This record gives sequence, C-alpha cells and structure tokens, in this order.
Amino acid sequence: MIETFRLHQLLRETVSAPYRCLVTRPTGAAIRDRIERALSESGCVTALLDFAEVELIDFSCADEVVAKLVLGGETGAGPYVVLQGLAEHQREAVEHVLNHRHLAVTALLEQPEQPAVLGCADPDTRLAFCSVCEAGPADEELLAARLGWARERAAQALAMLATLRLARCYDGSFHPVPVR
Amino acid sequence: MTRIIEIPASFDDRTFDQFAGMFGEWPPAERLLFDARAAQWASPYGLIGILTAAQALSEAGAERPIFTAPLNDDVKRYWARTGFFRHAADFFEIHGRIPKVAEGPSDTLLDVTPIRAMDDVHKVVGDVPERAARILQEQLNIKASETVRFSMALSEACQNIVEHSGTGGWVAVQAYTWRRRLGRRVVVIAVSDGGIGFRRSLEPAHAKRYGERWGDGAALEAGLVQNVSRFRDPGRGQGIASIKRSVDHWNGKISIRSGTARLAIVPDWDDEAPLAEHLPFFPGAQVQITIPAKDAPSA
Repeated sequence: MIETFRLHQLLRETVSAPYRCLVTRPTGAAIRDRIERALSESGCVTALLDFAEVELIDFSCADEVVAKLVLGGETGAGPYVVLQGLAEHQREAVEHVLNHRHLAVTALLEQPEQPAVLGCADPDTRLAFCSVCEAGPADEELLAARLGWARERAAQALAMLATLRLARCYDGSFHPVPVR
Repeated sequence: MTRIIEIPASFDDRTFDQFAGMFGEWPPAERLLFDARAAQWASPYGLIGILTAAQALSEAGAERPIFTAPLNDDVKRYWARTGFFRHAADFFEIHGRIPKVAEGPSDTLLDVTPIRAMDDVHKVVGDVPERAARILQEQLNIKASETVRFSMALSEACQNIVEHSGTGGWVAVQAYTWRRRLGRRVVVIAVSDGGIGFRRSLEPAHAKRYGERWGDGAALEAGLVQNVSRFRDPGRGQGIASIKRSVDHWNGKISIRSGTARLAIVPDWDDEAPLAEHLPFFPGAQVQITIPAKDAPSA
C-alpha cells in the first residue's frame, strides 16, 4: 500500500560520485524518472519520499522531484505523494516550489511524525486536513459539526483537500492519505 | 597587429567595464595581448573574467592570445594558488615566470573551477561545505547551519551556466575584506560564462512582450526580477529566485552583467545604480553574489 523511496539511495544510484546533495534539474529528473518507473509497476496508494541522509536539495531539484511528481498525480490516477525526513532548509525549498506551482503535499514533519500540509493550501483546507487526520474520516456534515462551520464551507474545504490530493475520497467520506 | 588588453591594477566588478571596453568589436579581429604586469590585485570576478574572455576567444576561433603575468611576486603567487594559471595555460600563451605553489590559500572557499557539465556542479557543491562552514562562521559570523543555504545558491548559480549559456564557464569563491566599500569581511561568489547571454537566451520566448524596450537590460530584468526562463515549464526560473531569497536573508547583493548591461539588487550598504546599460559588450553572463559579515566584523 505504501512504497518508500529513499532519495539518498536513489541519488547514489543516479550520480557516479558519492555526494549527498540533491542538486541540478537533470539529477532531479533522473530520480523522478526512477520513481515513476517503479510506481508504474507498483500499484501502491502512497509514494513515500524519504529525505533521510540527504544533505541538501536545491530549488531546481525540488521542482523536478517533488513538484513534478505531485503534478503528475494531479490527474487522480497516480499514488498520493507523502514526504518524510525533511530538514528545515529542505522544507523551505520544497515549500517554495510547491507554492510556485499552487500545489500541496502531505508531509511528516515533527517528532513523533504527524501529517502536515506543505505548500499552497488555504487556512480552511489546512483545518479540514487536521480534522480528517486527527479525528478521522469525515463527510461535509461531520466536518461542519466538528469545526462549527456552515455545511457549504465544509464541502468546499473537503473538495479542495481532494483536488490537492491531501485526502482520499471513498464511501462518501474523506480519509487521510495512508502514511504508515 | 596586436591589441593590448590591459588588466586593471585592481580588477574586480567595479573595474570590469574598463576591461570589457578594451576588446572593441567582438570577437576582435587582432591578436590580443592581456597585459597583467601592473596588476596588484584581482577578485574572483576579475580572475574568472579573464578566463571567460580567453575561452570565448578560443570558441570564436581567434588566435591564441598572449598573457603577460603580473610582475609582483605576491600577486603572481596568489593567482597561482587560486588555480588561475593552471587554467589560463589552456587558453593563453603565457609570458613571465609562474611560481610553483600549492593551490588553495586559507581564505579561498573555492578555487577557480571550470563548470562544463552538471557533474561539475555536484562536485563543487559536494566539496565546499566544510570550508564554507568554517569561513562563514569564523569570518562572517554566519551560523554554520547556513552553509546549506550557501551551497544552494552556489548550486543554482553554477547550473545556470550548463542550462542556459550554451557553453562552459567558471566559478570561484573567496573571502576578503572590503575596507573602503563596506569595512567588513565578505564572501564573494563569482560565476561567469562567455555563452549566449540573457538576451539571446530569453529572446524567443519573451522579447515580443517588451517590444522596442527589448535588449540586454530588459532581458536581465526579466531573468533577475521576474524570474522568467527560456523554458515554457512554469516551474522554471526558480534558481535565481532561490539565490535572491538567500541574498535577501544575508542582506547581501547580487549583480548580473550580460552583454551591454548590468542589473543588481542593491542592499542599503551599497551605492551602485541598480541598472547600468550601454556598457562595453562582453560575451555571456557574469554573476557576483556578495555575502557580508553580520554586524561585528571578525577580521
């Protein structure tokens, strides 16, 4: 259900020298290509990108690896992208490229790792995300009751969660993206 | 006929236009003699500017130029330690005795280094963190944890050469004291290529929008201020955006010269005009990123 991609390992397999920096667009594109090929045969629900042991990621590489993977999944066909093990400076680079393309992604940021939204999401979408992750799946009626919102506002926030691929919609409810 | 290109006695971004103005038509029809005998000092920007000119001449099929080395032994030794002469020998007929010295003085963050392919960018970024952390912390009062930000800026600046110039280029990074301009230590990242430059790179996709205003200055504005790229992909142009974020964070300065114009994002400590146009032509693009020491100078 969850396929983990250790970016440090993929980097080692992609470039000849033993560096730990995810830099340059061609490197990012090559790593994304490996991930996409693996995903095409995987059938997993979640693609978990693990940044552990990656020293740095520059904006160009972040755009190629993260933003374009998320963008590719926007058709609704691909797996959900989740990030883990991001250092503060890596988070800054990833967040910048996601904001630039009006994208968002689920990230496991804190210890113990809790799902959070990284990228371009409005406050209502973020509140809906937290509610679904912490209190469990919800439809618009339940979310409206939980947050004291009008039903229409809850419906809009849940629709945005689905559009940004921050939640899965099935059986009439919005569910957290599987991360474990 | 031989045209003399006199290397300014103090050669940095401020005297670069004087250097560029000596070439006349580009590429010059005559054989060139780069006369550095009176040189007393050169910044990384100046040193890689010389190599950029020589590489561009070579790629234009010009006759191999002559280079007369500085007369001052200290200057010669210093230039040798940065690796300048090792690379200059590939492009110049060098006149004057070059001292044999171990390369890499203590205040050189990155020697004069060619950037030809993305692997070179990986090597540069992979090799500098240890030295960068020490110099940023000890000389600029910048936390070692910010080395990552420094490496990101270096990476983006170098990969622009490979992605956009249509040729190779050069990078050098050095720490030194700007006594008159700032009264503090600075780290200067200099990146230069003799390729197609901003105007030709951006022209197919963006010239129309600017109409008659289109030129080297407008192209620099499009690239540096508006973060546009020659690629249609809307995610492009983020490299320069990334550098600007870091420069802003450090209260630093970025200046880009391309063709006949130079555009800078100027911090409050500097008095350079943001845009200079109608400068003497010089091929490609030359980038200087200046990171000043925080508050108390430490050297």
